Amino acid sequence: MNIESLKLKKISALWIIVILVLFIASIVLGILMRLNQGKVIEQSPLTFYTNMTTHGLTMIGIWFAAGMVAVNYLLQRYVKTSYGVNLFAFILTVIGVVMLWITTYAGKFSTGWTFLYPLPFRDLGSESWSTPLFLISLTVLGVGWLVWSVSLMAQILKKYTLSQAFAWQHFKSNASVETPPFILITTVTLIGVIASLIAAVIVIILYFAEYFSHGDFVNDALLMKNLIYFFGHTIANEMLYLGLAVIYEIFGEVSDRPKWKMTWYISLAWNCAMIFILTAFFHHLYMDFVQPQALQIVGQLASYLASIPSAAVTVFSIVAAVYGVKVRWSIVNLLFFLGVAGWVIGGLGAVIDATISNNIMLHNTLWVPAHFHTYNAMGNVLFSLGFFYWFSTQYVDKLVLSKLTKYTLALLIIGGIGFLMAFYVAGANSIPRRYSTYPVELTSGPYLAKVGALFASIYLIAILIFFYNIAKRCFVILSASSR
Amino acid sequence: MFRYFICFFTLACFSFFVYANDNHSELREEQNIYGKIYNAPLHLSGSSKVTSVESLYSRKPLIVALVFTRCYGICNPYLLQLSENIKQLQSNTDFNVLVVSFDPRDNLKDMTNLAKQYRLENNRQWNFATTDSINEFINSIGFNPKWDSITQQFDHDALLVGVNEKGLITKNLLGIRTVDDLQLMIRSIHNVFIPSYRLPTKSNIFSCFNYDPKTQTNRPGLGLLFVALPAIITFLIVIIIVIKSKRAAA
Repeated sequence: MNIESLKLKKISALWIIVILVLFIASIVLGILMRLNQGKVIEQSPLTFYTNMTTHGLTMIGIWFAAGMVAVNYLLQRYVKTSYGVNLFAFILTVIGVVMLWITTYAGKFSTGWTFLYPLPFRDLGSESWSTPLFLISLTVLGVGWLVWSVSLMAQILKKYTLSQAFAWQHFKSNASVETPPFILITTVTLIGVIASLIAAVIVIILYFAEYFSHGDFVNDALLMKNLIYFFGHTIANEMLYLGLAVIYEIFGEVSDRPKWKMTWYISLAWNCAMIFILTAFFHHLYMDFVQPQALQIVGQLASYLASIPSAAVTVFSIVAAVYGVKVRWSIVNLLFFLGVAGWVIGGLGAVIDATISNNIMLHNTLWVPAHFHTYNAMGNVLFSLGFFYWFSTQYVDKLVLSKLTKYTLALLIIGGIGFLMAFYVAGANSIPRRYSTYPVELTSGPYLAKVGALFASIYLIAILIFFYNIAKRCFVILSASSR
Repeated sequence: MFRYFICFFTLACFSFFVYANDNHSELREEQNIYGKIYNAPLHLSGSSKVTSVESLYSRKPLIVALVFTRCYGICNPYLLQLSENIKQLQSNTDFNVLVVSFDPRDNLKDMTNLAKQYRLENNRQWNFATTDSINEFINSIGFNPKWDSITQQFDHDALLVGVNEKGLITKNLLGIRTVDDLQLMIRSIHNVFIPSYRLPTKSNIFSCFNYDPKTQTNRPGLGLLFVALPAIITFLIVIIIVIKSKRAAA
């Protein structure tokens, strides 16, 4: 094994361990929130909202990083990537997360992960230093990820021309050069990631400008909300696409099936996703009456056009790969398969909510966490767990579907579905989101929160078993030498 | 030629946004919203009893107009417009109007004469009043008239204040306004959501829209350009990477 390859493997193993540790901690925070809503435990509103802020930001951060780790690792098959940049991103991520947790737990910063303007400047019971530290922590994370994304993009564009990276040659018959689907999806995703991180940079600059101006400069709430959702919505979707890029690359490989080839419709679908995902965030502003109506319509159309083509070709490709043929099922391709199902179901929930006529009913109800937890907890997490499993076993162990693995998967599915159903049912019953406790009128709210907490605990048990299996192999990789 | 066209087009776009933002005023309709109005004792014209602001708003939501009877300027056209607007409303009985003088020189007789001027002295919806606690009252609203000793007049805004049945200020209207604006105020004092947006100030330079109270229209502001900025910068980054890659390959 050459030293460069080993270094990449080690840094990837380190990322995986840190991501899983933070994931477990964040699930615990989520369960505590649901227990509080279910009146099983009693947290102060401040504690609830610091937990909510930490939970949301950590989850977004770690699963974005997980997608980047997987893509960086697999990209090595096509282009040379920089170990130094990967390490730099890891160090900044660890520093950023530590600062973030200090901000929320020592500083009691509690605006929610969307940190909507002007909440960071309002006295919500937090320490005065927590707002600048929060902004610094986001800066540290953003710089690390932006440098990483630009570096990967640069490496792709060293080998492929821009039109090849976007697979535009596949719109014509007999393309002279074939662009692997993995390269196309990674390219379009990195573009979205870079755009979303730049939106975050602008938001942070505007927040700092107001913070240091002492009242001489104030921000525009509509602008800040647009930019925050440009960042937040886009990155939350792009991290799913990173996971899908991984599936396109290794699903065939682990299933003893041929690798997926690029076609014109895959190219078209992902080019659509790249363009429309950058404007789909407007659906978060349906209730903002000052937003021009044209942008609201763009928000709905883009939500459909960003998700439906890419979902359709991915589902078609996956079903075509497994239907009527002998497939070597392992925990990896099962996780990928289930993850795609979770992504599609969550995506449907999202599209329902992104439809203006439905949003009037569902806006800021628990339907919103229902759908984003579906495509994250039962979609993106499974994509990344599949990759982690594949990564940790490819040199250390064999991919087998043992009984324990089957039971663990069953726990994950039962826990995940139960936990999500509690959200969906509550959302359909107009139970509001982001309430630390429910008023007496919302009788089903506490009951469904308890159900959610119970099933989330089952999900947590499954994740702990996965963590044990994956982490022990990652530690073996970390201790390996190049000889 | 094409390069010049692009430069000219870009400059034209930017000058449009700059023009759109060059429109600041010291308007402050958003001030004191959801603040409690001061419960001042009131002397109502046509009544010998002392009442209070609370006793009025707890019966029906209130629209408060602040005037002084010796005004040579805005007060008369503003009261006239208000009374005309109220007449135009389809349903105009579910609120009361309180006209309070902020001039200590005004007495009940002055206020009664003012009511007569508009033929409102017998209209039970309209209450013309003076108060001994005018400073506390106008401070709770954020109304700040300035005395000009040369003209012997107050320099003041034409302000209408909407107060709901709990005594909370739900909306302010500055200047002589249309019946549509008045309807928004009436909805707000009945606790119905009404859309509002912060007016431009000198400290708020990146608004997505700038509202022009004269024309009552919204114009796109510099902030809208910022929404597109991440995509534009990303495009530029990709172009720079492509150019650098091509140079390195050459």
